[in-house]
Amino acid sequence: MKFWDLIRTANRNLFRNKLRTSLTVLAIFVGSFTLTLTNGIGDGLHTYVENQVKNIEGTSVVFVQKKFDIPDEGKPADAPTEYKEEVKDETGALIDPDSMSFTVPQIEAAFKDVADIKTVTPGFRISGEYITLDGNKKYDVNLATLSDGITQKTETGKTIDGANQVVIPLGLARALDEKIQNLVGKQVWVGYKDTEQNLKTVKLEIVGVATKGFMTNTGTFLDSQTARAIYEDQTRGKTDAGKFSRFTVQLASGDEKSYEDIKKKLDEKGFEATTFADQRKRTYDAIGIFKIGMSLVALIALLAASFGIINTLVIAVLERTKEIGLQKALGMGRGRVFLIFSLESILIGFWGALLGIVGGMLIGTIANQYLIRVYSSSFEGYTLFVFTLPSLAIVMGLVCTIAFFAGVLPAFRASRLNPIEALRYE
Amino acid sequence: MLEAINLSKTYTSDGVDFQALKDVDIRIDDGDCLAIIGKSGSGKSTLMHLLACLDAPTAGNILVDGTDTSLLSEKKKNNLRNEKFGFVFQQFFLNGRDTVFENVVLPMRIRGISGSELSKAADEAISAVGLKDKRNKKAKDLSGGEKQRVCIARALVGKPQVIFADEPTGNLDSATGAAVEDMLFGLNRDKGITLVIVTHDPDLAQRCKRSVEMKDGQIVAGGAV
Repeated sequence: MKFWDLIRTANRNLFRNKLRTSLTVLAIFVGSFTLTLTNGIGDGLHTYVENQVKNIEGTSVVFVQKKFDIPDEGKPADAPTEYKEEVKDETGALIDPDSMSFTVPQIEAAFKDVADIKTVTPGFRISGEYITLDGNKKYDVNLATLSDGITQKTETGKTIDGANQVVIPLGLARALDEKIQNLVGKQVWVGYKDTEQNLKTVKLEIVGVATKGFMTNTGTFLDSQTARAIYEDQTRGKTDAGKFSRFTVQLASGDEKSYEDIKKKLDEKGFEATTFADQRKRTYDAIGIFKIGMSLVALIALLAASFGIINTLVIAVLERTKEIGLQKALGMGRGRVFLIFSLESILIGFWGALLGIVGGMLIGTIANQYLIRVYSSSFEGYTLFVFTLPSLAIVMGLVCTIAFFAGVLPAFRASRLNPIEALRYE
Repeated sequence: MLEAINLSKTYTSDGVDFQALKDVDIRIDDGDCLAIIGKSGSGKSTLMHLLACLDAPTAGNILVDGTDTSLLSEKKKNNLRNEKFGFVFQQFFLNGRDTVFENVVLPMRIRGISGSELSKAADEAISAVGLKDKRNKKAKDLSGGEKQRVCIARALVGKPQVIFADEPTGNLDSATGAAVEDMLFGLNRDKGITLVIVTHDPDLAQRCKRSVEMKDGQIVAGGAV
């Protein structure tokens, strides 16, 4: 028999008993439908997070901080703490083993023998009072630093690439000017207080308006030189001035392969280095685990439905014993008989998955429409159900595979039937 | 040509052996028309099943055109049955929900033939049994005689050398039975198809060129050529 003939035969056999087959397909439908929706939620979350974080990018950039000591678990509360002697780093400065803060030269020293670095931007802690375009109307401002080596996606304009530049968030931009394009190139004043509580201003050029994202929704990003100047004004005379817990290091070359080596070497020196990719992977891994957890429910439904397939096919084999006997008498091989019943099993899975996917997409799309109306303001850019081709293909593939395995036992029994006995079967 | 040499078949059930066939020798030449007669349990059906390679003998050999079938693989035996043999059974074994056409083409589909070759062969066979106008009717809507004619068309469609007929008229009244018999003998006479008919009906056996009578697993009359 030709393959197409086999599929047609299998499908015709299947719908000889319409009610029984439909009920089995229905059970598979429920599982596939659930799986389609849970995958849709996971992909929706993934897409949303992706849209939120992809606004800030940087190749050949690593984030460095001191490695956290893992606390000894189960240590009694009164256990003494081990004394650690202060050590000198390459520059001769003392490193307090319990301190999380370092100076820029210390970080630069740590990278010696590890990788060539271009710039080090420490995590400046700066705070602003207001931002104003014309000096009259002032807005609260949340200052952030765009570290060297990192670029930002903008709605209009460009990312920061020099001194005295600022990228403002979309909400602020809309308040300043209806047409945000007009803002690019304009001067703004940012007010801040120094250590003596004197109000100072710095004049900056708006180079761009940030695309929405987790961090860029509210932060007004300054170039690193401006940020450093404000930081110095705000920490003058303080004991911990010039010490930071987190650094952004721009490497001379951005070779993906060398990252692992850099991380390992820094780890030996007591530092933890992460890349953008690492940070995203953590987030996506968490989403992935969430997705699997939800899919488990759907998988249990599919497992239950697969017993329906076994049952349907076992009865079908009994019903068609004579027919199988005749086919074997007329020269059909065991493999073919097995194949026909396997195909019937897979087809049950196929129809169930198809209906489940179509139904899931339909319900998901309707739910999305509804959610857009209700929550559009608070979750801009979030779609609850996102249906991607790979996810749908996985649902289809998985369901068909489960259906195939459910059909193995009945198909095997059919293939082993003795033609003479089968023809005599009453 | 079919040849059985020292054919024995023993069935074992619940530890008890039952010898259905004892040292049977028989030769069936091409174009022959043979009736195997005997009471139920005489071993006539077993002999037919063995000759048709539906079952394997416990001892002895079956030669089909000089080839020892015990040396053939399962797949080769399947192909042999499909290409050289046709079957007509007492119970029709038709698929009632399918059309006459679909029932008739089953051996061709198993052989892997499709398209125009398939429909040409089917139309020839359906015309040969006089059911041209019922080609697209559902098999369940046919009368008993028509059903058996569909079975003959199904046996005929693959252009076999031998047609095995197991009580072909057992389920039919005498008038329709006679018509089916005429059709089978016509195939033997006009197309030279070897006919092996298993029956307990002496009148049907009379109409064959020769007959062998079976009793307790042995040939008691007629016998080897």
